[in-house]
Amino acid sequence: MITAERKPLEEIIAYVRPFDRILLVGCNECVTVCAAGGRKEVGILSSALQMAFLKQGKNLQVKEHTLERQCDPEYVEELSSMIDGADAVLSMACGCGVQEVARRYRDKPVFPAVNTTFMGASERQGVWAERCQGCGDCLLGITGGICPIARCSKQLLNGPCGGSTHGKCEISPDVDCAWQLIWDRLKALGLENRYEEIIPAKDWRTGRGGGPRKIIREDLAE
Amino acid sequence: MSFEKRLQSGEFVVLAEMNTPKGVDISRFMTDARRIKGRVDAAVIPDMDNGVMRMSALAGGVLAQQQGLEAIIHVYGRDRNRMALQGDLLAAHVLGIQNLIVVPGEDMANGDHRDAAVVDDLDEMGLLNAIAALQDGKDLAGFGLDGSPKFTVGCSLAPAADEKAMAAELAAAREKVAAGARFVVTPPVFDVDRFAEFAKQAESLKVPLIATIFLIKSVAVARYISFNEPGAHLSEEMIQRIRKSSDREMEGVKIAGETIAKLKQMAQGVLIQTMGWEHRLSAILDAAGM
Repeated sequence: MITAERKPLEEIIAYVRPFDRILLVGCNECVTVCAAGGRKEVGILSSALQMAFLKQGKNLQVKEHTLERQCDPEYVEELSSMIDGADAVLSMACGCGVQEVARRYRDKPVFPAVNTTFMGASERQGVWAERCQGCGDCLLGITGGICPIARCSKQLLNGPCGGSTHGKCEISPDVDCAWQLIWDRLKALGLENRYEEIIPAKDWRTGRGGGPRKIIREDLAE
Repeated sequence: MSFEKRLQSGEFVVLAEMNTPKGVDISRFMTDARRIKGRVDAAVIPDMDNGVMRMSALAGGVLAQQQGLEAIIHVYGRDRNRMALQGDLLAAHVLGIQNLIVVPGEDMANGDHRDAAVVDDLDEMGLLNAIAALQDGKDLAGFGLDGSPKFTVGCSLAPAADEKAMAAELAAAREKVAAGARFVVTPPVFDVDRFAEFAKQAESLKVPLIATIFLIKSVAVARYISFNEPGAHLSEEMIQRIRKSSDREMEGVKIAGETIAKLKQMAQGVLIQTMGWEHRLSAILDAAGM
């Protein structure tokens, strides 16, 4: 999922201060799962904002609405019946959702209420960790299902650096050494020989090296 | 007189672009440096021009200066993060480089290492601010330096296809000047009348304007620029002039020289891009009456 964290309230307040009527839009997908911008968080932020402005003697009107998927034009269209009643939109979706709303409603200021953080997985209740950087050329098939691009601090492709100690990364004892994980997994699978294979310098064209990326499926595109 | 002093005293400056070799054979680079020394005020050394991997501009600048030719080196953020950039800037100063031009990096997709990772840690403004900080005795993390560098820093303007784009470029240049750029290098000038209009608008920048002169080597190059760079305003008339000439290479030289002569009253200097034909530089300057 795409993970996110809510921005500090002060920053959000600064965005919406010039406006009287805010449309606060959540998303039912990733940001709901990582408890950053779903229906529940929309309600909490709405109350927090109204209280903060009330203290300053301002009655901020907040219309709350959570879309099924804010990165999808089909669902973003739902806002068309509410958009005229708002001076600005505050989005609790990831950056994709914020931009989709801004693209659809060009004359309306749209502000992000969360910081989109990474593509990750839930490690346990309340803990999410980075798993993928979307490099566009997946290596997981040769690294035992553990990504050295997303999970090795140095993005090393051919084994750990000297900072790997007792399975942990030198940047923090809380960070696993990706190459220790890869080795352990290859060993468990009986694929130790694969570790010896040299992975060549990565082709970053499929990542950001080639500029903003786009997928066009000729069989689906209209 | 140094490039900086000529700029300050309002003297017309003549710069020539010299690319470093793709490899370690520096014989041609050194020969060219010696050849143009004395005819130009300084050499501009691009870094990985057009995204093509070459010997670094820092090394090229130092080599040029070893031949007695003052150097101005390009710096940009595509290939180096703020650590590497700052480290190279300190190195540049101690190796005698006094002049920099902050430029945008060519898109990696247009270069010869298309699979390389793009860094882009600092953009042009970020880099200008880094240079200002270093000159002020601090690095970007706020730590004090043991001796601070000093540079004459310039910036570049991108080609603009229309008035709106030009206004945006000028606005960007204004910010770069505020961040420490003390001269501005324009894109190649083919239409002098248009340049005159632009120069008037650019007066508000209150820094010297250096016009780029691009040596047109062939009709094919002229057509390519005309087709792909609408902001260049390279006219069909100019293409035909080269096409009809009995010596097309010389015609390109004459056009470059004539353009320089006309620009003498409109800009404070020219940067001549000979695209590897440094041996033609003298002929261009002769044609310019310089």
